[in-house]
Amino acid sequence: MSGIVRVEDLHKSFGGIVVADDVNLSFEAGEIVGLIGPNGAGKTSLFNLISGVIPPDAGSIILEGHRVDQLPMHHRARIGLARTWQNTRMFHSMSVIDNMLIATRRYPGESLARILLRRRSVDAFRQEATEKAMVLLERVGLADKMHDMAIELSYGQQKRIGLARALMSDAACLLLDEPMAGVEGQAYETIIRVIREEAQAGRAVCVVEHNISFIRDISDRTVFMFNGCVLASGSVDELTRDSQLTDLYFGGEHPQ
Amino acid sequence: MEYILTVMVLIGINVILATSFNLILGYGGLMSVAHPIFYAIGAYCSGLLAIHLQIPVPLSILMGAGIAMVLSFGVSLPSLRVSGDYLVIASIGFQLGILHVINNLEFTGAAGGLTNIPVLNEGPSRSLVFVLLIAVVAACAVLLVGWIVEGDYGRAITAMRNDEEAFSALGRNAMNIKIVLFAIGSGMAGLAGALYAHYFAYVTPEQFGIFTSAALLTMVVVGGAATTWGPLVGAVLLTTLPQAITFLGLPVSIMAPLQGVIYTTLVIFFLFARPQGLMGGTRGGGGLEAWSASAAFRARRDAE
Repeated sequence: MSGIVRVEDLHKSFGGIVVADDVNLSFEAGEIVGLIGPNGAGKTSLFNLISGVIPPDAGSIILEGHRVDQLPMHHRARIGLARTWQNTRMFHSMSVIDNMLIATRRYPGESLARILLRRRSVDAFRQEATEKAMVLLERVGLADKMHDMAIELSYGQQKRIGLARALMSDAACLLLDEPMAGVEGQAYETIIRVIREEAQAGRAVCVVEHNISFIRDISDRTVFMFNGCVLASGSVDELTRDSQLTDLYFGGEHPQ
Repeated sequence: MEYILTVMVLIGINVILATSFNLILGYGGLMSVAHPIFYAIGAYCSGLLAIHLQIPVPLSILMGAGIAMVLSFGVSLPSLRVSGDYLVIASIGFQLGILHVINNLEFTGAAGGLTNIPVLNEGPSRSLVFVLLIAVVAACAVLLVGWIVEGDYGRAITAMRNDEEAFSALGRNAMNIKIVLFAIGSGMAGLAGALYAHYFAYVTPEQFGIFTSAALLTMVVVGGAATTWGPLVGAVLLTTLPQAITFLGLPVSIMAPLQGVIYTTLVIFFLFARPQGLMGGTRGGGGLEAWSASAAFRARRDAE
């Protein structure tokens, strides 16, 4: 099994609460994986472990052939990992376009020495990044909002900006945490289209979402998590036919 | 006349201190209160180098600033692991620890202070020349901070202050930015300290304690945190105000506590009435509002 991202025997607990119980998963290039399960199943924690927000207790995470589980978050992002957040996490005192510019894979403006000594290349980079950001904002239908303060947009719009921002770095793996929450109407179709296009471009995409019909629409494979364990994997229809899983999802008893 | 020039020197020193503190605290959102200790390090190192090693004063001033810059690791490294309230406590520990060392070493003059520091310049118009020098340095400090926080680097600083985790997840290295902000800010404080030492020829440990932290914090908050001109306005206002009330002719028993009351009242007033400070804009322009928005935002997020 190759995979853009491979998670092997990943384990994490906070005191008595196990958020990842020997998880084994792999996200392939071009594949959209739906991650479902009830609240507290460990879906977001899995994203946090893969992206480096929290360190694992045991196990390994391999991203594009590099073992990344001990690397800091920004390092993993530069290798090729992008994620969105359940709560949009916009940089709230910045405009939409500034939110986008921060997210490029390389950001020469991060070094004062570069700004001082290689002004031209930094300017050229900003120009290039701005054009790229405009294309992405166009794709999520928010190009006209580029100069608005990110925090002043609606929640659904912020979700779309969050998605566009995650695409700025051309990461090989995209982890999308509830991209549909608060998104309605036409924007729904827009997001589905954008996610599909990104998968077609060869990225591995993993989506956490409570909206099952969305997961059915978009995912090639669906993984069901419960109490930090991966319980099942298959199509949404296969999973929903399993009465034990639907019981768990809707608050049934823990299977012993 | 000499009195007015001396007050102007103090204003210049405070402008440098408040401006550099604002870079760390206001723009960086790094809640360190240990800024006066770098002021002390600059003053003591430069003074001691000039006294004991006979290093020419201009050179020792630069060395004092450089040492403060290097020792800023003492706060920037903890800031990589802890933030917010915890960094406040870690920085207080660092400040009081070094102050305690200075207070108890023979060669720093202990609690009595370091005396007979060679002055930078002499002659009949010594104070006037010094005022001009400090005005130039203060202007450079304001411009330097203004340059750092604008454009591409400023965007990165703002994003880091808004949400460090989201910032890191986008591939940005918050560690580098924190170290740079602390180094530059602390180096500037060290420079201010060295200039102070070689003008007044005398420094004592008690000048660099928590009261000074509070005074600098007041200057930044009243002027407007995360604004270019705020700390300058705050420094001018809060250096001249205590001097002005000395002309009221009040007895010492009232005067001494009155200064503390003024600082505290100002901070409380601004927190409620104008959190963005005197120079803060109405939106997105920094100030305490930008902080409290960040704090409220984080609290909301963590609750979910």
